[in-house]
Amino acid sequence: MMRQVYCAANSGSASRVKAQAKLGHVDRAWGCLTRRVPLIHRTMADTDLDFTTGESGASATIPMQCSALRKNGYVVLKGRPCKIVEMSTSKTGKHGHAKVNMVGIDIFTNKKYEDMCPSTHNMDVPHIKRNEFQLLNITDGFMSLMGDNGDVREDLRVPDSDLGKEIEQKFAASEDILVSVLSAMGEECAVAIKQMTGGK
Amino acid sequence: ILATLLGLPRMCAPPSMVNTEQRQHAEHIFLSFRKSKSPFAVCKHILGKCPSNKIASKHFSIMFSLLSPPSLQKYVREQILLAVAVIVKRGSLDKSINCKGIFHEVSQLISSGNPTVQTLACSILTALISEFSSSSKTSNIGLNMEFHGSCKRIFQEDNLRQIFVLTMEVLQEFSRRENLNAQMSSVFQRYLALANQSTQNVMLKPTETWREALLDTRVMDLFFTVHIKIREDSDMAQDSLQCLAQLASMHGPIFPDESAQVSYLAHLVEGLLSMINGIEIEDSEAVGISNIISNLISTFPRVILTALPSELFTSFINCLTLLTCSFGRSAALEEVLDKDDMVYMEAYDKLLESWLTLVQDDEHFPRGCFVQPAVQVFNSYIQCHLAAPDGTRNLTVNGVASHEEDEINELQEDDRELFSDQLASIGMLGRIAANHCIPLLTSLLEERVTRLHGQLQRTQQHLMNSSNPGSVDRKVLDDLYEDIHWLILVSGYLLADDPQGETPLIPAEVMEYSINHSTEVDINTTLQILGSPGEKASSIPGCNRTDSVIRLLSAVLRTSEVESRATRASLTELLSPQMGKDIVWFLKRWAKTYLLVDEKLYGQISIPLSTAFGADTEGAQWIVGYLLEKVINNLSVWSSEPELANDTVELLVCLVEKRERANIVVQCENWWNLAKQFASRSPPLDLLSSSVQRTLMKALVLGGFAHMDSDTKQQYWTEVLHPLQQRFLNLINQENFPQICQEESVKREIVATLEALCGIAEATQIDNVASLFSFLMDFLSSCIGLMEVYRNTPETINLIIEVFVEVAHKQICYLGESKSMKLYEVCLTLLQVYSKNNLGRKRADVAAEEDQYQDLLLIMELLTNLLSKEFIDFSDTDEVFRGQEQGSGAAGRSVSAADVVLFGVNIILPLMSQDLLKFPSLCNQYYKLITFICEIFPEKIPQLPEELFKSLMYSLELGMTSMSSEVSQLCLEALSPLAEQCAKTQEKDTPLFIATRHFLKLVFDMLVLQKHNTEITVAAGEALYTLVCLHQAEYQELVESLLATQRDAVIYQRLADAFNKLTASSTPPSMDRKQKVAFLKSLEEFVSNVGGLLCVK
Repeated sequence: MMRQVYCAANSGSASRVKAQAKLGHVDRAWGCLTRRVPLIHRTMADTDLDFTTGESGASATIPMQCSALRKNGYVVLKGRPCKIVEMSTSKTGKHGHAKVNMVGIDIFTNKKYEDMCPSTHNMDVPHIKRNEFQLLNITDGFMSLMGDNGDVREDLRVPDSDLGKEIEQKFAASEDILVSVLSAMGEECAVAIKQMTGGK
Repeated sequence: ILATLLGLPRMCAPPSMVNTEQRQHAEHIFLSFRKSKSPFAVCKHILGKCPSNKIASKHFSIMFSLLSPPSLQKYVREQILLAVAVIVKRGSLDKSINCKGIFHEVSQLISSGNPTVQTLACSILTALISEFSSSSKTSNIGLNMEFHGSCKRIFQEDNLRQIFVLTMEVLQEFSRRENLNAQMSSVFQRYLALANQSTQNVMLKPTETWREALLDTRVMDLFFTVHIKIREDSDMAQDSLQCLAQLASMHGPIFPDESAQVSYLAHLVEGLLSMINGIEIEDSEAVGISNIISNLISTFPRVILTALPSELFTSFINCLTLLTCSFGRSAALEEVLDKDDMVYMEAYDKLLESWLTLVQDDEHFPRGCFVQPAVQVFNSYIQCHLAAPDGTRNLTVNGVASHEEDEINELQEDDRELFSDQLASIGMLGRIAANHCIPLLTSLLEERVTRLHGQLQRTQQHLMNSSNPGSVDRKVLDDLYEDIHWLILVSGYLLADDPQGETPLIPAEVMEYSINHSTEVDINTTLQILGSPGEKASSIPGCNRTDSVIRLLSAVLRTSEVESRATRASLTELLSPQMGKDIVWFLKRWAKTYLLVDEKLYGQISIPLSTAFGADTEGAQWIVGYLLEKVINNLSVWSSEPELANDTVELLVCLVEKRERANIVVQCENWWNLAKQFASRSPPLDLLSSSVQRTLMKALVLGGFAHMDSDTKQQYWTEVLHPLQQRFLNLINQENFPQICQEESVKREIVATLEALCGIAEATQIDNVASLFSFLMDFLSSCIGLMEVYRNTPETINLIIEVFVEVAHKQICYLGESKSMKLYEVCLTLLQVYSKNNLGRKRADVAAEEDQYQDLLLIMELLTNLLSKEFIDFSDTDEVFRGQEQGSGAAGRSVSAADVVLFGVNIILPLMSQDLLKFPSLCNQYYKLITFICEIFPEKIPQLPEELFKSLMYSLELGMTSMSSEVSQLCLEALSPLAEQCAKTQEKDTPLFIATRHFLKLVFDMLVLQKHNTEITVAAGEALYTLVCLHQAEYQELVESLLATQRDAVIYQRLADAFNKLTASSTPPSMDRKQKVAFLKSLEEFVSNVGGLLCVK
C-alpha cells in the first residue's frame, strides 16, 4: 500500500521522522489496519476528474456564492472559520433582491458571529479537515498522535477543556483512544475522542 | 359565619370608614369563605336559620344592599357576586334556594330607577350567567361534572329567558332616555354585554320556547335603536353589533315556517339598510357590520333570500356592493398607514367571503343579478392595488404618496398566500363579470409591460452614460413592478383554480365567455399575438379580434419576455425577483389547467382554446418550448434568489409530472441541454441551493419516463443518470480516496451526489420504481462505505442517512418481498456502521448536540418508513419488477423489518432523553415509532434487553400521562397488542406481564377518574378491555376500592350498577372481537352515565 507523508499545515517534519523511527513496530501493525477501507476497486483509470492533487498549494478557503451555502455547512465570518447554524434570507422592499443572513459559530472558540450579504456575492468557505489519530503518548501537555498512514506528530497540545481532561484520564488509565483533530485555516484542535474497539 | 357576615359590610364600607388593615382582614375572611371546600355547609347554616325561601332571599337582599355603595372596588364586588352565584348554584342542588326569589329581587332593583342599583342588578345577572354557563367559566367547587352539567341544563330551561326579559326591560328603559351620561352609559354597557352573554352561541339556534321572546319585531328594533344611540362609544358599539350579528344568525326550530323566516329576514334587512344608510360608519363598526352581513348570508337558506321582495333584495345587494368597495378602500389606507389593528381589512375579508358564498350559489338567484356588483367590487379592488394615476395605491387620504421600503424576511408569506382568500373571491367575481374583467386586466397589463420595457431601456441608456450605477431611480420601476405583481396575481386567480391533487378544470364561466365570443375571434391573429411575446400586442394588425382569454396569457408572456430580455442585457440588477416569482407562479397555475386541454372533460369546448393549447397542436408545442426556455433562463440568472429559483423549478416539475406534457418536453432540444448541463455540475446550475438542485434532479428523472423510442431513452439515461454514477465511482474508487476525502472539492462532489440521489428518490412513481430502485440500490451500498470514510464528518453522515430515509419513504410501499429484503439489509448495515462509529465517541464541539438530534430524527424517520410497509403496501408480489425477478422468492430470507427496526431502536433508546423529547417533532416521531413496533412486533418486546425494556415501558407511561393527547393516543394504541402478547404466552410474572398490570391502573384512572379528551376514549377503551382480560382480579380490586370510597349511598349504587353493566356483555372477558366491541359500546354508556360523577371540579 502506498504511503504518503502526512503533511499538516504547521507540523515540524523533524520530530515526525524521529517518532516514526522510534515507533516502527506500531507502524507495521497499523499497516495492515489501513486496508480496511472497502471502497477501493481500481477500475476507471481514465477519469476526467482529477482528485489526486493532494493538498500542497491548496488555499485555506475557496469562494462560493452566498446562495449556495447551506445550513450545517461552513463559512468564514469576520476572518474566523464558522459552522453555519442559522441561515435565512431577507430583502429590502417587496421588489428588492435577496440578502443572506447567517449566524455562525467559530469551530475553535465556539464564539458566535453574524453576517449579512447580498446573495449574489461570494463568501469564503474554509477547508475543513477532520483526521483521526491514535493517541500514543502525552509529554509536557503535548500529545503524540499517529495517523492512518503511520506518521506520528507531537505538535498538538492537549486541549484546555473537559475533553482535554478526559484525554488525560484515559491516557493515565492506559485506555486506547482515537483523537479527532479538526483543522481549518492553519489552526488545529482536538475535538472528539473515541474508544478504540478491539476488532478494528 | 357571623364573622363573615360582619366582615362583609366592613369590606364594603367606603374607604374613609375603615383602614386598610381591616379591609384586608375582611377580604381575607371572605375569600377563605369562598375557597373553603364546604361553603355548602355555610350556606346551609344560613339557610338553616332562615327556613323559608323568602327569608333566604332577604338575606340576599341584605347582601345586595351591602354591595350597593358605588365606592366599592369593582373587583371586590364581582368576587362577592361570584360567591353569591356559587351559593345559588349549591342551593339549587337540594332546591333550598329558588332562583325565582332572586329574580324578583333583581327586577325590583331594576325598577328602582337608580343607576347604581341597576348596575348591581346587572352584575348579579352576569355572575349567575357565567357561573351556570360553560364548564370553563365555572368555579372550582369540588363537585362532580354531572352536577355542573345538570345545573346548566336547568338554568337554560328555566332562568335564561327570564334574564333575557329583564335585560330587555332595562334596554327598553334606557333607549327611551335622551341623554346618557357617563355613568349611565357604563350601566348600559353592562346590560349590552349581558344581552350578549345570554345568547352566547356564536350561531343562534334557540328552541321553540324562545319564539315569543325573540321573534317579536320589537326586540330587533330595540337593538337597532340601541345601537344608533350608543354607537359613538366604540366598546358599547361592538357589543350591540354583536347582538345584532347574533340575531342575524338565528335559525332552527324557533321559526314555525318559511314565511315566518322570510318576514323575520325582511325585517332584519330593512333595519340593517336603514341603519347603514342613516349613518357614516365609524372604524369600530366595520367588523360588527360585516359580521351581521356574513352571518345573514351564511345562515339563511337561498330560498329565503330569494323570497325577499325584489326591491329589498336589490337594495341589499347594492348596499353590500357599496360597503365592500368602501371597506376595501379603507383597508388599503390602513395598509399605507401600517396600522396594527386592521379593522377594515378584517371587515373587507368577511364581506368578500360573503360574496364568494353568494356567487357560488349563483343559479338560485335571478340571472345576471351579480354582474354589475361584481364589476364594481372588482374595479375597486384593482384600483386600490394600482399606483396613481389609474389607481390609489399608497395614497393617504389627502393624496400624498408614501413609499417606504421595509425589511422583509423569508418568514413573511408571499402576497399570493397571504391574500389568497381575498384573491380567490376577487377571481370569482372576475369570472362572474368576465366580459368586463378579462379585457380590463389584459389592457392594464399590456400597457404596463410596454411602460416597463421603455423604462428599462431608458435606464440602460442612463447607465451607459453615467459612471455611477447607484444613481438609478428605482421608484418608477418599483411602482410598475408592484402594479404588474397584483395584475398577475388577480389574473392567475381569475383564470384558474389550484385544487390539491385533482386535475384542475378551466372555470365554467371562463370557458363560456371564450365560447360566446369565438364567432368574433380571428384565430390566426390570436395565435400570432400568442406566438410573438417580443412584440407589442397593439402593433399586430387585427389585434382587437383576439380571444381575450388567450390574450391575457399573452400579456403575461410579454411580461416574461421583457424580463428575460433584460437579463440578457445584463439588467438583472434592475429587475424584481418578486415579479419573476409572480410570472412563473402564474405560468405553472395556467399550464396545469389549460395546457393540452382535454376535451373529454368538458361538455362544450371553446375552439380558440382547443386550437391554441389542445393536444397535438403547434400552439401547445410552441408554448412548452417557451416555458422550458424560461425555466432554463431563470435557473441560470436567478440562482441567487432561492424562492424564485424554487418557483421556477416547480414549474418545470409541473411540465414533466404529467406524461402527456412530458412527451412534448422531451422533444425539445433545450431539455436535453438542461440535462447535460446539470449533469456536468458546472456553473451556473451548481450555484443553485441544494433544495432546488434536488427538485431539478427530480424533474429530470420524471422527464426520462416520457414516451421516447428505446434508442432515445437509452441516450437520455446516458446523459442524465450515467454521468452521476460514473463521476461517483471514479471518485470513490481512486486509490487515494481516503486521503483526499477531506478535500473541499471532493466533499462538494460527494454532497452533490447525495443531494442528487435524494432528488432521484423523490421522482419515484409506481411506473418507474423498478428501474429507479435498482439504480439507487447500487449507490446505497457505496454509501455504507462513505459512512466509514466520513465517520468524522457529521454533516456528510447526516446527508447519507437522509438518502436512505428518502429511498425508504418513496419506494418501500412499491417493493415486493425480495426487494424489500434488500433494502432492509442495507439499512441494517447502515445502522450497524453508524452505531459502531458512534459507540464510545465523545464530541466536544458546539454543534455536537444539534448534529445528534438530527441524526436521531432521521434514523427514527427511516425506521418508521420501513415499518410503514406494514400499513401501506402497493406491491403485488414484485409485479412492477416483472422480468427482473429471478424467482429467488423468500427462500434466501436473511433480514426482516423487525431485525432492522429493533436494532435501530437499540441505538435510539439509550440516546433518548426527556430533554430531547421536548423537541415536538422528535417526540412525535419517537412515539409513532414505538407504537408501530408494539403493534407490529409485540412478540419481540419481551425479548428486549432488560434496560431497553424498562426504558420502553417508561416511555409509554410518560407518553400516556404527560404528553400531548396525540401522543397519549399513540401510547394507548400500543397497549392492546402488548396485553394480547402476554395473553398468548400465558406466562405470569414476566416483566411485560407486570408492566401491563401497572398500565391497567393507569388506564383505569385515566378513563374513570380524570377528565379526558373524548378523542382518546376509544383508544383507552380498547386498551382497558385487553388489560382487563389479562388482569381480571386486579380489575375487580380497582373497582371495589373505588366503590369503597363512596359515602353517598345513591351514588354508590349508581356506580356499582354502572360497573356491572359495563362488564355484563363480556363476562367472562375474553379477547374476542365481538366482546370487545360490546365492551366499547357499554363503555361509551358508562362514560356518559357516570363519567361526570367521578370527575370533580
